[in-house]
Amino acid sequence: MHATRRQTLALMGAAASALATPALAQSRAIKVGALRFTSHAPTFIAMERGYFAEAGLEVEPVFFQAAQPMAVAIAAGDVDYAMTSITGGLISLAQKGAVKVFGGALSEEQGIPGQSILVSGAAMEAGVTGPADLGGRRWGMTTAGSSFHYMGAKVAEAEGIGLEFVPLQKVPAVIGALRTGQVDAWAIVPHIASGLVSSGEVHEIGKIADYLPGYQVTTMFGSTANVADRELTGAWLDAMSRAIADYNATMIDQSSGEAGVQEMVSLLAPYVYPDRTVEEARGSIVAGTMRINGGAALNVASVRDQLEWFQSEGLVDSSIAFGDLVDTSYVEAVGA
Amino acid sequence: MTDTTHSPHGARSAQTDGSARPVPFRGGGFRPATNRWAGPLVFALLIAFVEVGLRAGWISNLTLPLPSDVLATFVQLYETGLLWRHLVPSLTRFMVGGTLGALAGIGVGTLIGLFGLARAGLVPMVAALFPVPKIALLPLFVIWFGIGEGSKYALIALGTFTPMVVATYGAVDNVDRTLIRMGQSFGLSWGSIVRKIVLPGAMPGILSGLRIGLAIAIILLVAAEMLGAQYGIGAYILEAGSLYDLERLFAGVAILSVLGVATSAAVAWVERRVLRWRS
Repeated sequence: MHATRRQTLALMGAAASALATPALAQSRAIKVGALRFTSHAPTFIAMERGYFAEAGLEVEPVFFQAAQPMAVAIAAGDVDYAMTSITGGLISLAQKGAVKVFGGALSEEQGIPGQSILVSGAAMEAGVTGPADLGGRRWGMTTAGSSFHYMGAKVAEAEGIGLEFVPLQKVPAVIGALRTGQVDAWAIVPHIASGLVSSGEVHEIGKIADYLPGYQVTTMFGSTANVADRELTGAWLDAMSRAIADYNATMIDQSSGEAGVQEMVSLLAPYVYPDRTVEEARGSIVAGTMRINGGAALNVASVRDQLEWFQSEGLVDSSIAFGDLVDTSYVEAVGA
Repeated sequence: MTDTTHSPHGARSAQTDGSARPVPFRGGGFRPATNRWAGPLVFALLIAFVEVGLRAGWISNLTLPLPSDVLATFVQLYETGLLWRHLVPSLTRFMVGGTLGALAGIGVGTLIGLFGLARAGLVPMVAALFPVPKIALLPLFVIWFGIGEGSKYALIALGTFTPMVVATYGAVDNVDRTLIRMGQSFGLSWGSIVRKIVLPGAMPGILSGLRIGLAIAIILLVAAEMLGAQYGIGAYILEAGSLYDLERLFAGVAILSVLGVATSAAVAWVERRVLRWRS
């Protein structure tokens, strides 16, 4: 018999779920939204190492270009679970009862190179050497209500300065504008920041972790119906927690040394940088390391702060309650 | 008007003679009748359908906003003064970009219509430029003209320019040659012929091109405000879209529609004045 790749995979999945005690009585097929970012490593690890299969889930990844469309895809029922930053769009959809946050993922932690505050070469020459010098300057963001907007506003608030926010729709557009000096400053995840800084056109002047310690950058969320399904969401969280533990142990605590890092990079490279070889991708993947909350714990205080900021800016309806956005019954709450 | 057989009176008098077979009137029709009520009625019915559907729950609140909420959002926009803060920059961009593009388009189109060399040289270029999605050029314009107003004017102007060129030289080509020959036989100078025969004759085609050009300008207004605009109807719509705020999204779209209707009405007014000679 000539087995196709799909059949082989299905057989392997069946074998794996037969060996381990499946969390679900019957294997269920779900779709998971993902970005080709290092921050989505747990999804890729759980797929490659069979954690999803062992939890009784047949996962099909759906790749997106930006965080916002993932929330819309979940609301439309095209995707079951996803992991992304809290945006105004996500909160509005939660208000309409379409999506719900139930766990945390990427976090800012002092001491780990998290998101960087970058300035353009022109701004650097004009004497901007720290975030306090940014008063009245142009801060790039994708859209109003994006995480970039939130970070800029929080930095400005802490420094007591005013910023002009410039919407540019897409991350590549913001990068282009920063390089050519059309915007003065931006904050971005380390694997993009390190590449930009090493090109010499932009400079790092600070860390987001210094302004927003414990900032819950990304959260796990799903459609309200899926989040109400305790069995399914529980199975998903089990698989993801195992993958997160692997990721933190290998990449942050270096428990299995250099060999472990190398193996992890080989696993992630085809997902995060499909157009590069493992060796080419290695630097960016290692530079992109950030803490992912163990057990998908959620920093409730940070999420509450984000919701309140969106409301105070009039970006989302002020009547949205915390409980409309978050279901805290699944994971451990930290930072409350 | 000396020949009576062409007038209806003449026809009737011929019939009363009894010598001719009665001919039933076969004219009429093929003339768009005006109806004041049909347009608003279609709008009202559609809006009422959505409102009732959402309130009754057979339309999901994820798919459409309540029309009454959209109206409330619009009223709020007006009361907070934000409406003007968004409308003024957008109208300025539309006017400046649209005017630049339309004037340049009419100028180049006339040149193409009048001079063989201009036609041979420019028509292929316009044909190459027309199908390029102008939105794709936006990043390039930002580098050329900066992220401020310059790139927005340029984008809207380019979008208006190409359809205006095509409409104008088409209209110049369609001017009745016998009228031009008549002008020549009356000894009019070349300049007089262009001013008094070619341009007025081309005006209906130019004005219908203007309708298309200005509609494209409104479309590009949203695209132009994608990069670096904090205020403007396009920026407002894009922000509402990214926040998944359907009420604001529809309020913004309604403003654009009104702008489209207003532009079309303005062109119709110009048509009535400029083309009075036709009736």
